[in-house]
Amino acid sequence: MRVLTFGWEFPPSKNGGLGVACYGLTQQLINKGIEVIFVLPKTQETRGNARFVFADQERLLKMVHTDVTPGPYNQAKSTVDVIVGYDKAGNPIVKSRSILEEAHRFAHHASFIAKEEEFDVIHAHDWTSYLAGVAAKLASGKPLILHVHATSFDQAASDNVDPSIYKIEKEAFDMADKVVTVSGFTKEILVKKHHVPAEKVEVVHNGCDTEEPIWHTPVLQNLKNQGKKIILYHGRISIQKGVDYFVKAARRVVDVDPDVVFVISGWGDMKTQVIDMVGEMGLSKHVLFAGALWEEDRDRMYQTADLVVMPSVSEPFGLVPLEALQHGTPSIITKQSGVAEVLTHALKVDFWDVDEMANQIVSSLRYPVIRQQMVREGKEQMKGMSWQRAADKVRQIYQSLLQYVTS
Amino acid sequence: MLTVCPYFHVHQPYRVKPYRVFDIGSDDQYFNDQSGTDLDNRFIVEKVAEKSYRPTNRVLKELLDRHPEFRFNLSFSGTVLDQFEAYAPDVLESFQELVATGRVEILADTYHHSLAFFYSVPEFKRQVEKHERKIKKLFGVKPRVFRNTELSYRNDLAKWCEDNGYLGIMAEGWDKYLGWRSPNYLYRPAGCKKIKVLLKNYKLSDDIAFRFGNKEWDSWPLNAETYADWIHSHHGDGETVNLFMDYESFGEHQWEDTGIFDFLRSLPEMLLRHPDTGFKTATETVQSYDVTGEYDVPDVLTWADTDRDLTAWTGNDIQRDALNAIYYMEKDVMATKNRSIIETWRKLQTSDHFYYMCTKWSNDGDVHAYFSPYQSPYDAYIAFMNALSDLQLRVSQVVAERREKEASTETPHETMTSEEEVVETENVEESVQIEQKVNPVNPPSPRKWWQKILDSIPFLKSPQQGEV
Repeated sequence: MRVLTFGWEFPPSKNGGLGVACYGLTQQLINKGIEVIFVLPKTQETRGNARFVFADQERLLKMVHTDVTPGPYNQAKSTVDVIVGYDKAGNPIVKSRSILEEAHRFAHHASFIAKEEEFDVIHAHDWTSYLAGVAAKLASGKPLILHVHATSFDQAASDNVDPSIYKIEKEAFDMADKVVTVSGFTKEILVKKHHVPAEKVEVVHNGCDTEEPIWHTPVLQNLKNQGKKIILYHGRISIQKGVDYFVKAARRVVDVDPDVVFVISGWGDMKTQVIDMVGEMGLSKHVLFAGALWEEDRDRMYQTADLVVMPSVSEPFGLVPLEALQHGTPSIITKQSGVAEVLTHALKVDFWDVDEMANQIVSSLRYPVIRQQMVREGKEQMKGMSWQRAADKVRQIYQSLLQYVTS
Repeated sequence: MLTVCPYFHVHQPYRVKPYRVFDIGSDDQYFNDQSGTDLDNRFIVEKVAEKSYRPTNRVLKELLDRHPEFRFNLSFSGTVLDQFEAYAPDVLESFQELVATGRVEILADTYHHSLAFFYSVPEFKRQVEKHERKIKKLFGVKPRVFRNTELSYRNDLAKWCEDNGYLGIMAEGWDKYLGWRSPNYLYRPAGCKKIKVLLKNYKLSDDIAFRFGNKEWDSWPLNAETYADWIHSHHGDGETVNLFMDYESFGEHQWEDTGIFDFLRSLPEMLLRHPDTGFKTATETVQSYDVTGEYDVPDVLTWADTDRDLTAWTGNDIQRDALNAIYYMEKDVMATKNRSIIETWRKLQTSDHFYYMCTKWSNDGDVHAYFSPYQSPYDAYIAFMNALSDLQLRVSQVVAERREKEASTETPHETMTSEEEVVETENVEESVQIEQKVNPVNPPSPRKWWQKILDSIPFLKSPQQGEV
């Protein structure tokens, strides 16, 4: 079986959970003998070749490049810089284009690629690739699966969605043969907001990396030596992620326990707003902005923290608590997250319930046994959340569509 | 002759409200949730009264009136009796009517439905005595057969019961300890000389308590005639069929629409159709039959789930932490001699609190295997530990005040007249003596090897320890 896959980002480029998920799933599909042609919009380094290509890697994973700088989490009208060509001196000619334009361009390329390649199924990840998936379906007549990692409603954290993204979502879902969501939470959004028939939507929870990590020397040692506890937020600083609720909870916590330091690791369009908020609430001494942390720095921070908080307002899945667990740190997560459906061993709170969030933070610092147990039992539970299991489900979906086509 | 010994256990805990860390030091009401949800104790008692207690008692009274041979046993936790008095006095009256027939026996139990026997025998004894006083006061009877929380049982518990004058004790008739033998006879607990153990026939008991309404079950729908046949088939290979179950099986665990009340209504008649079949209370049973062998249970046996042990209450770290934290406080709590504090501490010992913290099967995603009013075991633990922290604070304040008073003046006790200071004098002083008496035969307290770990927990490093 051969699958033509469209994606927007892929490790090791520094992006969010989308690339990580595409990587994890693709690798396991290949392990199961499925040939994956992974189409990305832009030439980039890719991870895993050395690991999953083996001798037949080149044949299995074919990269087709276009020339876009990705940025999938932006609104449709936000722009990206694109190299459209080179001048006589060899310097790149840079133009700004909107993500929407890029998604359309990607679709244009996709219809050509679909004619060049031979494959059985089309699989498109995230909204920026939906049009490409639809174009490939129109060009080839092959069945189309759309993989929903997020919706316009998550990004807006409200009903005030970007109409042009919603339009793409709605039309593409109608065109798709199957829609895969990363959680029941997201499936519900599709059914309620996009009016997709429930039977057309399959839930495939993301997997996670369960390998024992490399243990680094912790950071913030001087704070820890002073007996300070470290509470970590890791992720984009945007309205969807609920960092403002995290800061409000911090205020409540510090009122009863001044020996707590809150670390915000990330980047995003709300950063200035959050920095102002921290100042206004008199929390400057208690909140550290660590900037965007990647790889070893990020792991080190996970390992240093006593507790991680994922305060998302609307989180289709949410890899952060699983990454944290892998590094031995328990989490508080919001009930408005997909990962809450599969992770029992975390504290769960409504994003707006700042008081309860603060209660959970202080209580889990007071009674350390709860943190020990969430880590020990949570790690055990994570063993059942492999990408292999996700890939099994995806393969079943492929097969069901092939049967449908041939019969 | 084959007799049936039915026993129904009546219990409701005082559930702890979502008590937040910010409430510590400012709110001493842990059980007064008024949300109208499953954490609202009044709401629950009223709901279960309507679904189970009232209709079931009507049927039981009817049966007692109709069949002079009909007999059964009840046990009550003190916490459910207190809640009946407060929220549903008519339910209590209907139970009193049943007992007044003289054909309904009440069993001994701990007042607070606790696991105290396994943590502190002196405290256990105080709770059993308090329970006995309550039963005497409400029903005018003195229990002679003992059953422990969740039917938990061990050889040394049987020995304790024998030493304290009980004629019988109840336990699960578990294959691991019975081997090829039948639960339908009486046995002698290992290490005992007089007391007899009544073993639950779990197959026949659970057919009613767990399987009755299950449409996937081979024998669904079960009617009383078939069930009576199953019991009659034990003629010749048994003397007593012991059917032990939660009282709430009728109407609450098995809803009315399963036909459970009709089943109950016709069961005695179907059983009595066989000329050689009758009913006996627990005391009648132990007085009628001799033991046929020894029942040797060195480890804790309960009637819970497939493991029949205490892991649903003590299986994980947070459960053990909470249990150890509460029993660690015993000495200080008793030293307050403050009735309200002691009672609150005991309400927090009710086993249900620890059950709500169970994570035994949560890895399978089977979170509904255990009933809990909390959204997660961790929420249950946090509410419990915060309430306990507040209690700890109150205990240390009272103890400090008491010491101060004793040090500064030689005021005699009579002058301490504030309501909070009123003490169940006989109870507390008696208990101090008991402690000295019982301690030597006590199994080594688990507290000792936990000491170090406990000391490292900030929660236990309360101001109180600093002041000592």
